[in-house]
Amino acid sequence: MKELKILYLYPDILELYGDFGNIQVLKYRLEKRGFSCIIDSYSIGDDEPNFNDYDIIFSGGGADNEQSILSKDLIQYKDKIKTAVKNGVFFLLICGSYQLFGKYYKDVDGNIIPGLEIFPYYTEAINDRKKRCIGNIVISANINGKEQKIIGFENHGGQTYDVFSPFGTVLYGNGNKFGDNKEGFFLDNVIATYLHGPLLSKNPELADYIISYCLNRKYGENVTLEKLDDSFENLCREQLLKHFTH
Amino acid sequence: MRNFFIILFAKILNVILKIARKQGGNILGKIALKLNKNLLKDFKVNSPVIAVTATNGKTSTNNCISYTLKQAGFKVVSNSEGNNMETGIVSTLLKNCTLTGKIKADYICFEIDESYVPKIFSKFRLDTLVILNFFRDQLDRNGEVETLILKINEFLKTYEGNLILNNDDPNVSRLGLANPNNDNIYYYHVDKYKYATQELKEAGEGKFCPFCKTRLEYEFYQYSHIGKFHCPKCNFGENEIYKFAENIDLEKRSFDVSGITYKIPENSIYTVYNHLAVLCVCSIYNIDTEFVLKSFKDFSLNNGRSEKLEINGSNTFINLAKNPTGANVSLRILNEDSSNKDLLFVLNDNIADGFDVSWIWDINFDSLNNVERIITSGTRAYDIAIRIKTSGFDHTKIQAFPELDKAVDELYSTTNNKYVIANYTALQPTRNEILRKGKIL
Ligand SMILES: [Zn+2]
Repeated sequence: MKELKILYLYPDILELYGDFGNIQVLKYRLEKRGFSCIIDSYSIGDDEPNFNDYDIIFSGGGADNEQSILSKDLIQYKDKIKTAVKNGVFFLLICGSYQLFGKYYKDVDGNIIPGLEIFPYYTEAINDRKKRCIGNIVISANINGKEQKIIGFENHGGQTYDVFSPFGTVLYGNGNKFGDNKEGFFLDNVIATYLHGPLLSKNPELADYIISYCLNRKYGENVTLEKLDDSFENLCREQLLKHFTH
Repeated sequence: MRNFFIILFAKILNVILKIARKQGGNILGKIALKLNKNLLKDFKVNSPVIAVTATNGKTSTNNCISYTLKQAGFKVVSNSEGNNMETGIVSTLLKNCTLTGKIKADYICFEIDESYVPKIFSKFRLDTLVILNFFRDQLDRNGEVETLILKINEFLKTYEGNLILNNDDPNVSRLGLANPNNDNIYYYHVDKYKYATQELKEAGEGKFCPFCKTRLEYEFYQYSHIGKFHCPKCNFGENEIYKFAENIDLEKRSFDVSGITYKIPENSIYTVYNHLAVLCVCSIYNIDTEFVLKSFKDFSLNNGRSEKLEINGSNTFINLAKNPTGANVSLRILNEDSSNKDLLFVLNDNIADGFDVSWIWDINFDSLNNVERIITSGTRAYDIAIRIKTSGFDHTKIQAFPELDKAVDELYSTTNNKYVIANYTALQPTRNEILRKGKIL
């Protein structure tokens, strides 16, 4: 049986906003099609994982004070993570993790939390603790050569600069910065974004893009994905898109 | 002199509001505070002030304390309608004071919004503070829980009154160390109950020791992050327990404290904790056990936020859930009932609910016990349907109806027991729709 292996980084620390739901959606969509899905987790104090052994590495968002504890731990794997990115392992990074994979995060008090420096963007918090980009967000992203509307919820104080390859164009909401027209960071095998929701729960085509990418990479063929009953997802998207973009 | 006119004015306004059949709510306090922002300092209070704060359960716990004290024959002033910010407290006091600002009562009991504890009690007498729990709410989940705890901790550094703390919530228990000079700290603890688990089953806070950052070790989890824990490095959590509840029997709806069996109306572990907090208060004020026993038997801690109805022969259990913990507690009760059930989940995303509904992914829908169908409704009916489907519940047994009347009609097409979970703005409309259905059937 074909299987995908997912590594969930810091599940007990980066677990705000139900981001774990992204893994549940991937698992659901794999198992419905008869593929198996193995989920391992890594957190502070655990043995070093073999990053290259995984098909997908997922990490979510957390509170500021926890982010600094974790940045220290993560940085010891900098080179290995860099290699995994180069090797094509798929990285799905939400919110705080999106920031951590950049150069640095400067918090409200001006403290610099160093990032992994895998991507050249950087993030700075707004001086005012109360000012955050919060709300529903819709972006248009190019998935498999097709423009698609991606729906999520953003909630971040950090403003991310110098993103050379954004995830999408903002149709509704803020994006990387207040009033920005670009959101997130995107390479073939990396999606780093502020979109919670959880992201994949409202965007099944994006979930399937990740699944196809990983299966094709691992098994060296064009795996066709069986269609699933996405009627709840479609109705949900229809309702929300009508609400936000009209 | 100025206060005299403020109070007089408030009292006249209160009479007018009463005639107009309007619930004053926070209005009196709002106006009075505009005229004198330090009005709280000027009330004359000669009776003990007891306050309850928490993320979940403060209204019902405060009402249970008031109810018990009243049973024991005392005059109690309380903000029983749940107006728990400064304006609500001032409104309650204005309604119950003399024209010179004197409060005539044997006890003053307040439930206080978590973020208002320092603000209110830097200006007003406080004798006993009860803290039940801290969970993340759906509205602001980005580390605000921690900020809130730090603020209360700061306030407690100079507080020397009674402090009643849930020893099984690390975020509450840690507050007992805020002022090392305070000898009036009372911890309560509940023994392992039947459905306690070895592993964390639902999203929770406080995984690390707040003092030495070591990962906390749990002997068991009761629900969410509430359970018996300690820090292996600095022994945080190992406190002398003032009141200890054991022999928790949710089927018989009873528990024992110091050899006495207390009967309660609810069958949830979560209310056992709140009852135990009430018991601590009563013990500190030497209230006779006979009144506590009676009050626990009669007074439902759920109090409107949760109720049981019989509609067309189906037992219907309605519960408010404004955060994952509230929903998880309801699902625990559902899973502990082994009959065939239907579940209705109503999810709105109006302003008062918060626009972000991602908290539903922190609800544990795994291995639901004998649930035959799930119906979802509300402005985010599809979101909750997707959530439940992804947890592994057969998607052909889930039906989503954004329109509430259709959802309720479908719910009562069988005679299974009904469990209804609704979030904040969804609760009343859902309740009304169910009652309407009850009349038609
Ligand atoms: Zn410790």
